[in-house]
Amino acid sequence: MEEDTRYFEGCGHEGPIRCIFLCEFHPVAGPKITCQVPEEYVSKEIFDAVSVYIIPKPQLQRSILTVNVLGYKITGFPVRIDNTKYARNAYYFNLCFVCDAWARTVQYEPVVKKLSEYLMTMEQETGFLSNENKTENEKVRLPAILKQILEDLNCHKMTTVIEGTTTMHLKVVKVASDPPHVSDHHVPIFIVDQNMYREQQWDLTTQQVLPYINGFNHVAKIAAEADVENNLVKACVQNLVYYGAVKLIPIFQYCNVYAATPELRYLAGSKKFQEECLLYVSKLDSNPPNLRDVFMMYCSMTHGTTLRDLCVRFNPQALRIDERKLVQFGLLHKLIRRVHKYPVFVEGKSHLNHMTPLEQAFSGLASSDEICCITGLSSQQLDEEIECNPGVTVIWK
Amino acid sequence: MMDPNPLSVILVKSDSKGDRLLFRYPYTTDARSEAGQQNRRRNPYALTITEDLLQTPPPQTSNICNGHLTGFSDEVLSTLFAVKPELCERKFELKVNDVRFVGHPTVLSDSIILTNIVFALHATASHSIVKCYYDLSKRLGIALRHEERRCGYLSQETKTMVMAHDEVAARPEGEKPEDADSPFNLILERSTLARNLKAVYDDLISMGVVHVRVNRWIEVSFCLPQKVHQFDKKDFIIEPESIHRCLQSLRPYHGLLLLVESSELLNHLPPDASPALVRLVRMYSPLKSLQTLAADADLTVSQVFQLAGHLLYWARATVIYPLCESNVYVIAPDSPTHVSSPLIERFSEHFPGMNLLQVMSDFSLPTSISLKINPLNHPQHQSQLVQMIVWMLQHRLLLQLHTYVYFMPTANGPRLPQERLVRQQSHSMHQSSTRDGSYQSTPDEQFSVSVGGFMGGRAPSESDLSSNISDDVLVTPGSKLNGLPIQTSSSLVSADTEVSFVSALEEEKSSLVREELLADFSDEERTAILKIPAAANPEDLHLLARLCHQGYLRGYHHLEEIMYLENIRRSQLLQLLDKFRDVLVTCETEDPAIAMFYSHSYT
Repeated sequence: MEEDTRYFEGCGHEGPIRCIFLCEFHPVAGPKITCQVPEEYVSKEIFDAVSVYIIPKPQLQRSILTVNVLGYKITGFPVRIDNTKYARNAYYFNLCFVCDAWARTVQYEPVVKKLSEYLMTMEQETGFLSNENKTENEKVRLPAILKQILEDLNCHKMTTVIEGTTTMHLKVVKVASDPPHVSDHHVPIFIVDQNMYREQQWDLTTQQVLPYINGFNHVAKIAAEADVENNLVKACVQNLVYYGAVKLIPIFQYCNVYAATPELRYLAGSKKFQEECLLYVSKLDSNPPNLRDVFMMYCSMTHGTTLRDLCVRFNPQALRIDERKLVQFGLLHKLIRRVHKYPVFVEGKSHLNHMTPLEQAFSGLASSDEICCITGLSSQQLDEEIECNPGVTVIWK
Repeated sequence: MMDPNPLSVILVKSDSKGDRLLFRYPYTTDARSEAGQQNRRRNPYALTITEDLLQTPPPQTSNICNGHLTGFSDEVLSTLFAVKPELCERKFELKVNDVRFVGHPTVLSDSIILTNIVFALHATASHSIVKCYYDLSKRLGIALRHEERRCGYLSQETKTMVMAHDEVAARPEGEKPEDADSPFNLILERSTLARNLKAVYDDLISMGVVHVRVNRWIEVSFCLPQKVHQFDKKDFIIEPESIHRCLQSLRPYHGLLLLVESSELLNHLPPDASPALVRLVRMYSPLKSLQTLAADADLTVSQVFQLAGHLLYWARATVIYPLCESNVYVIAPDSPTHVSSPLIERFSEHFPGMNLLQVMSDFSLPTSISLKINPLNHPQHQSQLVQMIVWMLQHRLLLQLHTYVYFMPTANGPRLPQERLVRQQSHSMHQSSTRDGSYQSTPDEQFSVSVGGFMGGRAPSESDLSSNISDDVLVTPGSKLNGLPIQTSSSLVSADTEVSFVSALEEEKSSLVREELLADFSDEERTAILKIPAAANPEDLHLLARLCHQGYLRGYHHLEEIMYLENIRRSQLLQLLDKFRDVLVTCETEDPAIAMFYSHSYT
């Protein structure tokens, strides 16, 4: 019963592989399932209704096809092998994974394709699939292989199958959404235990960059300190973001403005969350600060109040609060958000050609962080520039 | 990036003469680009491996080219979508590489003729987008079935289209002019159904709202919420689920803000539109709460909720807290600030001589109308200010900040009475309120509307309404805000509210009562409260205890909500907060109930 409410079409959950079958185009009988694990999962009636999508027109050969009808979601990669030895001068087959209609199945697509290609090789080398005169021993091989793949992929997300001279390595890789664009002013911060990433499992560039990711260095600084080309650092950080190892947060500065978000109420409501927070923002490990002080500092973050103002008002040192960690924790848990400053050219020169590079940066697209990173100005110098230019106004958002 | 736009719309039929693709739109010359693709190698330095095991041409991995469907011939599409009878009258979904096809194969007259209107979408489009397109295909299919039964419309259209196909095919090779070599041009000229499908595609691309009349008779309306709510914010998609969530957290004190002129809305309503909707729009004002609107339009609150739901889904309105002097606004984090944003021009058309960016920068700090209104200013200035705020709210450039209060008497933080219970309460809010809600009159609710959630059986009284409004209403004389349609209704006149619980306590002022009031609190908390001078006043203490007890001081209720639920005035509440500020923490953030219309950098 509970499953019904949790798993519906569009729930976004990944689902297990329910069945793997091999479909061939029989020269006389047409498309038919020649091997299925577990047997009879896809009935004859269902298969007949969808066979046109399993053995499709030549134009769709070697495309990944997923058909979702009648409660079955079937993913396959139809293949044709041309050879005069076959009855119709060609051999058609499709190795399909069957899942529940509600499941998300993109992660299986590369696996289906790879497995089909292994089978294609085996067919071309030994006629593994099409051989009609198999011994009893050979006949049970394919079902056994498919059974192993089904079980291993569902349990361990990976498998290695050895058949004759072919070794098949299959792995289900989670498909995440595209990572965001990484800019010079972004600060990467680990959201998993960093020691897990100390191992030698990363490429050389990443290994060189990793020690400089500390939640305070921005990308441009990491590039300079690690002595790695800027774009490589960006690619590397983007990769880490994709795998959920790091998150991107804005640069820490005392002149920054932050605003509390509605998420703050969860901090007020959960003892566990509070303990985690206090431990994180504490100046001294042995003596964590008071929750009320921490909470008040978060609540006081609003438009128009810089962190410097808050430090003057609360004196976090005396409250045993590390304000840099406070901001970090708030950003990571979305208790607060950064209020960015956008200098915008409102009046005056209208032609971009007559503008200095700095004035061109005041297009309203770049925040002050970005402008500082591009021009190399400090935020104070930038403020002075804005002050001097009467045509520029500032929008905080 | 997720793209709600369709790639193509395809019409396929299958009857005794076999299956055929009748029409597809857009039908750009596909063949040329395909040929080009084959010739061009991906990388000029790539090795060409002659003894490649894969003798067949390299597999196609993308079927999208410049936002159009590519790589499918008419014949392939026709065999794919002329489905077996088992698959009819249910959702059909097929994904090929990076394209997802969705349709509702419909059987017409005596199950001989099958028609399938299929939409080709980006495979990355979310499930809810796919579902919406499925729904559109189904609606069109049903309209076609009706017209086929009524007057054989589809048979006739099919004949016209097949004839056009045959005509072009029969032309001798040499005579084919280059651009007219597609029969679809001809079909578009001759067939109303083809023109309808083109209109559907064009409407979806441009607006996300479809209005077509199949055979000039059956009206098919459809709205793609993921598109229609996008406004000028690219990459920002509102899922219908979040609209439903918003409707569930809607309260009678919320208000509506129409995104189009009310006259325009009324003119474009279909002739069979609900008269209740017309009444509501006539009575509409951004100063009114849903409850007031209900009273003025003589509708039940639940009806108003239903109508608000419609307006919201179709992006004709958005939800706000009714405009009033004390509302605090700030720039929305996702508002476009680019100097060449099209909004800037539209703004100066509306308000000559004003620069949008300049006005926006005034809201860089949280600002209320009362702060900006200068009594020395010309009244016209003030009405313009209000109209500018309305305009910016309509374009979702402004966000309203509300004050939330946390009761935190001790250094260890807030009270966590039964921690799990608190969480549960907040999650089950909707369920409980729907149960309490009094909207049984409309059994066919698509979305559950909660009326007077939290009120625990207490019916909203007349005084609720007036007290809620009397404090907040912008300005009483309509002249001050002549730009806005202020309806001077009786409910706006403030009635003196009777604060009953105070009178009930007036006689008892002993410390005994105080002890009783604070019985729920721990010793530590009690000491902290009693330290405050205001605690000596039983009225104040009682109110504080009551707010605590009701759970209003945990950051889930903003001041306006507390005012509404507890039937107290803003000034009264503000005084209380000030008196007990030592044990309270306040915080200004947006109302999460209506914040989903903004994309937040923090989410």
